Amino acid sequence: MELLDNLMLGLSTAFQFKNLLFCLIGALIGTAIGVLPGIGPIPTVALLLPFTFGLEPASAMIMLAGIFYGAQYGGSTTAILVNVPGETSSVVTCIDGHEMARQGRAGTALAIAALSSFFAGTVATVVIAVLSLPLSALALKFTAVEYFSLLVLGLIAAVVMAHGSVMKSLAMVLLGLLIGLIGIDVNSGVARMTFGITELSDGIDFVPVAMGLFGLGEIIANLERKDERRVVTSQRFRDLMPSWADLKQAFPAMLRGTAIGSVLGVLPGGGAALPPFTAYALEKKVARDPSRFGKGAIEGVAGPEAANNAGAQTSFIPLLTLGVPSNALMALMIGALMMQGIQPGPQVMTEQPALVWGLIASMWAGNLMLLVINLPLVGVWVSMLKIPYRLLFPAIVLFCCIGTYGISNSLFNVWLMLGCAVIGYFFIKIGVEPAPLLLGLVLGPQLEENFRRALLLSDGDFTVFIRHPISAVLLGVVAILLLAMLSPAVLRKRKEALTE
Amino acid sequence: MKTRMIRALALSAFAAAAFVAVPFSAAKAQDFKGPVRIVVPFAPGGTSDILARLIGPKLSDAIKTSVIVENKPGAAGNLGAEAVAKAKPDGHTLLLMDVGNLSTAPSLFPDLNFNIQKDLAPIGMVMFGPYVLAVHPSVGVSTPKDLVAYAKANPGKLTVANSGVGAVNHITAITIAKALGIQWKNVPYKGGSAASRAVISGESNTIINGTTATLPFVVNKQLVGIAVSGDQRLPTAKDLPTFKEAGFPAGDAGTWQGLLTTGGTPAPLVNKLNAELKKILAMPDVQAKIAEQGGVVKAGSPADFAKWLDNSVKTWGGVIKENGLKAQ
Repeated sequence: MELLDNLMLGLSTAFQFKNLLFCLIGALIGTAIGVLPGIGPIPTVALLLPFTFGLEPASAMIMLAGIFYGAQYGGSTTAILVNVPGETSSVVTCIDGHEMARQGRAGTALAIAALSSFFAGTVATVVIAVLSLPLSALALKFTAVEYFSLLVLGLIAAVVMAHGSVMKSLAMVLLGLLIGLIGIDVNSGVARMTFGITELSDGIDFVPVAMGLFGLGEIIANLERKDERRVVTSQRFRDLMPSWADLKQAFPAMLRGTAIGSVLGVLPGGGAALPPFTAYALEKKVARDPSRFGKGAIEGVAGPEAANNAGAQTSFIPLLTLGVPSNALMALMIGALMMQGIQPGPQVMTEQPALVWGLIASMWAGNLMLLVINLPLVGVWVSMLKIPYRLLFPAIVLFCCIGTYGISNSLFNVWLMLGCAVIGYFFIKIGVEPAPLLLGLVLGPQLEENFRRALLLSDGDFTVFIRHPISAVLLGVVAILLLAMLSPAVLRKRKEALTE
Repeated sequence: MKTRMIRALALSAFAAAAFVAVPFSAAKAQDFKGPVRIVVPFAPGGTSDILARLIGPKLSDAIKTSVIVENKPGAAGNLGAEAVAKAKPDGHTLLLMDVGNLSTAPSLFPDLNFNIQKDLAPIGMVMFGPYVLAVHPSVGVSTPKDLVAYAKANPGKLTVANSGVGAVNHITAITIAKALGIQWKNVPYKGGSAASRAVISGESNTIINGTTATLPFVVNKQLVGIAVSGDQRLPTAKDLPTFKEAGFPAGDAGTWQGLLTTGGTPAPLVNKLNAELKKILAMPDVQAKIAEQGGVVKAGSPADFAKWLDNSVKTWGGVIKENGLKAQ
């Protein structure tokens, strides 16, 4: 009953006119920055933080949260239409989403992305309301040992996920791991491969690499194909919407993606990348015909989109229940709370129930608004494909430059992105998939950090990884995946599937 | 030879004149033309950022020009600090940061591209935020005496989470262990909140970190408070003894936030900024906000700040060098 009381309190806060208005403003800003490649929620929230000073705490949090999950909706748009991930979390959406667009099914892909996000957002809201406490207890069970095993699983998933040669995707993962080593090592404080360049001491940022490898590399490659006409199907609303068959195919993927995203979102560190990557790998594993992936499989859009939106929302759980941020954006939210004079910590939930439950209830309202905003916009976005390349590409490059500059007000990231663009073009030419590289880059540093911390705390005893039950289970899954992958029968099947 | 002597004489005369003249001919308001930037070398939302956004508008009113807060994170604050160090020395580029980070930078990063004492000019200290030393309940101690006894009986069983190799809380942990003759394991994390999380989950079992990040967990009984740094007990946790009362060294360890500008900025401008900063720090709403950040106002002269910096470079830098914590 307490839950119902809390929800009522939350709804009464969230549905005050001014809070609905701020929720809408947040969702709109979020959608806009999500659509613009490179411009992410973190610099946007940072920019708007001082403006929230004058608002009531609940309104401020509702608006800032709206920006965050709104960006998850918008981020898939450019990923699908032009293969430029609007947000880090939509890198995976590029793979099948853009392929769908090339086949003239951009409207379907966009609509599925929006529906998956809405579904996941709604479920995640319920998850936060009902399961906050048990989930945050679970998150606290994850120590360095469990993280290490989870990250190993993530990396194996990267190899499983890649289509094409296993060798090539392994090589990409390893390259990503190597690039991830750049910067000051957390455990020893030693600067590695920085060559005295101060900008490199924090390591290579994910966003410029993703923008360069995916988006800009693709643009260079497109410039070569002079006369390729992009297929724009009819613009009638009905044709843009997914068919009943599409929905039936996508729904189980949405469910699985939501489950994965809800759990992984609670764990700090995995960030925006882990939930969609894992969801994609899972979809490919359970699919009857994995060879469809990379060629416009609708599950490849639905699963990861659901996962990233669910993850974005459940990443609020550690903030609300423990007062500990699980990612950079949550750290900003803590800053917003402190500016309001609210001490973040485990007491927030009991001391500020109207704020916490208002925020939770506003998430559902916000998700509904986003669906209403996004579905009609599908037609508008699709017509963007009619913009000639000579106008579209310079605009994308411009936004990418502004966005990457904005991450830390540094030109270094812009040059890094442009360098990665050339490498991305090279990758397209030699036919390798850059997604595993990105996963290696994101997970590598954390893998090492947690591995060494686990050993430091256990005095170098390797058996901790099997003595901790959660870790043992995760490593068991890894072993099964590896066996399945290496067994000759599977290899043969994989080859057959590839030659088709 | 002669010209050089004359030049030196003239210079010192000028410096003396500037020094003496300050109280009488403070810089005028129109000395500040165009926007003044306060560079915060960390991500938004942290203590430095909150202070900058608190002080910025009030400074803008005082010097009658717009004041912009610019976050330039990276390399433990060195990137932003370097940008200020290399700016035009006209007092229009300010730096607000945890100056503990600044004072350890030369020892930690031999490749540093600027001299923190020459290329930056202190304007004034802003606040001091004490540390809380706390342990996970599983350790089973609640007083400094018991903690030391536990550490002596179980060498290496206490694992102290810090916010990075060479961070001030790491240095503090080393200093305490050395002075008390105990052994504990220093476990580096990527930042203070990762360290907090690790101690709440019991991955590590001891933490020395800021009050706002630590006290809520002590109140909630997820951590057990042992002692606090600073001169006085905390008004919000009166039962916790100070480091000094507990017999721990490093009583002045904590978060020191200070305002600086580019080295070589004319003294009248620096003094004008210092005077305005002091006025702002005396405002009741500013003091209240700083108290919310778990800190106390530490207003002082540029010379006080320079002395503090000099001292910290020696003591904290010394610990870094002694223990080979160089980032190289």
